[in-house]
Amino acid sequence: MPLPRILALPPLLRPPTTTSALRNHILPSHASRPFHITPRPLANLPPRRPLFESEFTETFLRGSGPGGQKINKTSCAVQLKHLPTGIVVKCQETRSRAQNRKLARRLLQDRIEEMELGESARTVVKRRRESERKRSRGKKARRKYRKLAEGEKGEDEEGVEEGGGSDGEALGEATRGDGASKVG
Amino acid sequence: MPRLPTSLLRRAYALDPYLPALLGPCRDLCAAQNELRWLREHVDGVAEKRRARGGTLARAALLRELVGKRARGMPLQYILGTEWFGEVEIRCRKGVLIPRQDTAASISHLVRFLRDAPNLPSELRVLDLCTGTGCIPLLFAHDFYDASSRPDLRILGVDVSEKALELAAHNLERTRKAQASVAKGNISFLQADILLNPFADQTEGPPSLKTALNLKRMPQFWDILISNPPYISPKEYWKTTTRSVRGFEPKLALVPPPDAAGTDTEQGDAFYRPLLTIAQDVEAKIVLLEIADLDQALRVGRRVREMDIYDGIEIWCDQPDAHPNTAAEDPASDSEFPIFGTGNARTVLCHRGQGTQWLQRTPSPHAPTSTPADTTEDCAHISHDGLEPSFDKTLLHAGDGRPFHERTLKSRKEPVDWEHWTGKPANAAAPWYTKEPRLGRR
Repeated sequence: MPLPRILALPPLLRPPTTTSALRNHILPSHASRPFHITPRPLANLPPRRPLFESEFTETFLRGSGPGGQKINKTSCAVQLKHLPTGIVVKCQETRSRAQNRKLARRLLQDRIEEMELGESARTVVKRRRESERKRSRGKKARRKYRKLAEGEKGEDEEGVEEGGGSDGEALGEATRGDGASKVG
Repeated sequence: MPRLPTSLLRRAYALDPYLPALLGPCRDLCAAQNELRWLREHVDGVAEKRRARGGTLARAALLRELVGKRARGMPLQYILGTEWFGEVEIRCRKGVLIPRQDTAASISHLVRFLRDAPNLPSELRVLDLCTGTGCIPLLFAHDFYDASSRPDLRILGVDVSEKALELAAHNLERTRKAQASVAKGNISFLQADILLNPFADQTEGPPSLKTALNLKRMPQFWDILISNPPYISPKEYWKTTTRSVRGFEPKLALVPPPDAAGTDTEQGDAFYRPLLTIAQDVEAKIVLLEIADLDQALRVGRRVREMDIYDGIEIWCDQPDAHPNTAAEDPASDSEFPIFGTGNARTVLCHRGQGTQWLQRTPSPHAPTSTPADTTEDCAHISHDGLEPSFDKTLLHAGDGRPFHERTLKSRKEPVDWEHWTGKPANAAAPWYTKEPRLGRR
């Protein structure tokens, strides 16, 4: 009889948001966390494209009507428009306008790079590497579980052999059982 | 306020069951989503801290409670406990006004000028009246010391409310720990009532500014005066402020105290006359006053021009660093004062003498034709810590180029205008600042 496998519960993980993902690369504010894993630096990335302040216009989106003490705004969205290409980037990730401005510039840089370099842009390269890593991780996991399943099967076989049966018979029984259930 | 369409509520509910509640105060799906995300991040942070200490926290229950508070109109900054003012994180507490982004933009813009200013004194003195959370002194110091070594900075924040001063001291400690740049500046806070006549007898309550400066042995002369005073008239308070401001933020910081003889508008402007008198007394070279809208800016600007001691008066908008007058509908073109930036009018800036040099402006045609109100005190920067007066000789021939004695012999064009004070008893039975701010229906 197979023993019930005790699964190790996964540690409580915070679902990654865009904010945290972006912050992990840009803003070093991990002081409050008990521990964190430093992302492995990605080697051989193409250099970042320099972005000049004269290339784009910056606007802070706000509603019409009175301002100052009369209202209490919580959003401080920043919108950048790149003049040569017409790319528009909007950022309202954090509550701080200063941080939003930084993030928006980074985003705009990435967008322009994607447009100019296509497949060799930083973001595209990063995404590709990430997907490769994920694929290989998946492959590894599949291999591992296949192995585990085979091991279990082996144990089952041993048990069955002790009972005097064989693999083929067990399979046959299973198919027969299926057929029976279908019929029933 | 227009009613929220049911379709919007349904759309919001499909995205997240908490969103419809947040749509009430936010009025906008995008803003509600942002606020919910920040609330979630806050709850996660609290839970993580609690777990690090070995406790547990029901996240869903806390989030539900916080969303409920926000849905009832409580400002997000009071719920989360902090607000970003420029690059400084300021702690907010009930009973003290939440710092506004527009104020930060004006302060940063002013500091940007001062960072490349020629001939700054060895100690730049900044007086911030009605400081509240202490956000303006902290941001000023942060921006001023951002990159390289600068002259010494001495900033004094003044407020009438004890709650505000407590919070300001707390914010100062907190920011000093986090940012080394702020620690370099000499920042302090002081309790004083700037509406009080310094020459009247007074027995109780916070002292007037002059008395408080004397008591604490603070300098009597300051280079820059900044203030974000209460500037909303009672009528505007009921008509134009949002519900979360009216219900949860202290009225003390929004509406000037009622004056017996005065119209609604006059009550809204009640702080500017004493502020300008103080600016004259402390010999401020740059004065930056926050205002509500263009009309108030023009009223204050005219009052400043009547004083006839400033070389230039400007109006700065919400984003003073944006390209000036880009919008075609901007009424700036035919305005009597130059307007900088885009958005609503936000601050009035006056400068004179050295202040005009620091800002690298040329005196405008509106500049006073007569003597600028330089006095002998202006030239002697007395340091009150070491009892040695230091005499700044460069100032002797600064200004209009005439010999020093000619300028000093001539007194101010008009004496300090105290008629404002005369009708005001200094020790009234129940001073307005003792009243608790009215909080909203719970």
